[in-house]
Amino acid sequence: MRSHTEIIVIKLKVLLVTLSMSLLLSSCTSTVDISGHFPSPVIDRLPYSIGVIFNKEFSDYRYIEKGEKRKKWEISVGDAQVEMLNVVLKAMFLNMEIKSNFQNTSGNTLDLFFQPNLESFQYNVPYETKGNMFEVWLKYNMKVYDSQGQIIADWVLTAYGKTPSEFFQSEEAALNDAMVIALRDLGAGLSLKFTQVPEINKWLKMQEKSSESSIEIVKNNFVNQIVLGI
Amino acid sequence: MENKTMIFNAVFIAMLCFLSGCTSVTVDQVKHQKSELSLGDSIVVIGRRTGSDYETEADLISCIGSALSQTNTALNVIPENDFVDRLYPWFEARTAPIHVRDLNRLLSYEKISKIIDDYQVQYIVWVDGNTERTRSSGSISCGLSPTGGACFGFGTWDTKSEYEATIWDYKSRQLVGKVSSVADGTSYMPAIVIPIPIIAPVQRHACKTMANQLNEFFTIN
Repeated sequence: MRSHTEIIVIKLKVLLVTLSMSLLLSSCTSTVDISGHFPSPVIDRLPYSIGVIFNKEFSDYRYIEKGEKRKKWEISVGDAQVEMLNVVLKAMFLNMEIKSNFQNTSGNTLDLFFQPNLESFQYNVPYETKGNMFEVWLKYNMKVYDSQGQIIADWVLTAYGKTPSEFFQSEEAALNDAMVIALRDLGAGLSLKFTQVPEINKWLKMQEKSSESSIEIVKNNFVNQIVLGI
Repeated sequence: MENKTMIFNAVFIAMLCFLSGCTSVTVDQVKHQKSELSLGDSIVVIGRRTGSDYETEADLISCIGSALSQTNTALNVIPENDFVDRLYPWFEARTAPIHVRDLNRLLSYEKISKIIDDYQVQYIVWVDGNTERTRSSGSISCGLSPTGGACFGFGTWDTKSEYEATIWDYKSRQLVGKVSSVADGTSYMPAIVIPIPIIAPVQRHACKTMANQLNEFFTIN
């Protein structure tokens, strides 16, 4: 017959082994829900209304690592990329609305529709890089349609972010930081180069809604050419 | 007797806690022209992040900013995050001005120059560099059993911090000078049952010497 103390010691040992096992098992997959702060860009607004279509695939985008030689990661990018684009597009256009399709609602005519698509997501963790860094590459396919739903422009926009690994920082936090930097890079590329996409530039030149519009477009192009040297 | 052993152990552990590896720091400075700050003027310290195989650490930039403010309370240092977010997307890794002459182009955009004017920025300090582990050796083994865990072994590693600060005069759009800080240090980790890290605070020393040097660089009127 075991004493009460012996039973408690056995229970504690079982608890310790269970805790160790659960710790080991939970460390098998790293889950990250990307979140960060996305500031509004300092740019001149284009005098147009735009409808933005975030399809389900885009807004729920979740990367699941399937490589056998890599650590298991589940990275949710959808919410963060939608949040970033909401902030950037609101600053780029006079009016921005989230739409589910290319239908113009009565009484509120939209000039353009914008549909982003994340085509490729890649990352590296420190043991895979020479420089002990977390790196993220994003490749987007951006599409812009006119008010009738006819395609105007279709181009590829890439973004990159990196962050060094730090002593007391978790891998998840470091990858989140690299991802936020990449999304900020995407916002910079979109807001500063939008009017330089040849098809969009051509469409903008064709629009002569009002003299005020023309002045705004010229001003926006001037900023890109002067500041970026493009 | 038992009390003496306990006191000895406690003192030994306390001594280990306060031990840190040795660090040596070299500072250099080049000044091309006067660098004066009037009351109310601000400076901003920003990390240069164009290096392909390294990244200037955000915490190092924040450390330099804090150390500058603490050393000289008359110095108004704008936090990097505030400045970069307020001027998004013009000071991101791929869009930030590389040369001082690029400032002219950037400031021809009225919205940007107004924001920087509002901050009353006199100097922009760009810090480029990183801290990396240059050598490591030794090994530590750890074991876990239902009766407990223990580690045994010895590890050592060298760390090098190399940073260069380039100071631009925002108002005259000129390069004022450069300050560099190079720090080396060796850290140790003996493990007898528990690992005891004796870390050389290389990056912290590089930050403090850089901040002290920058503080001497500016003359406050």
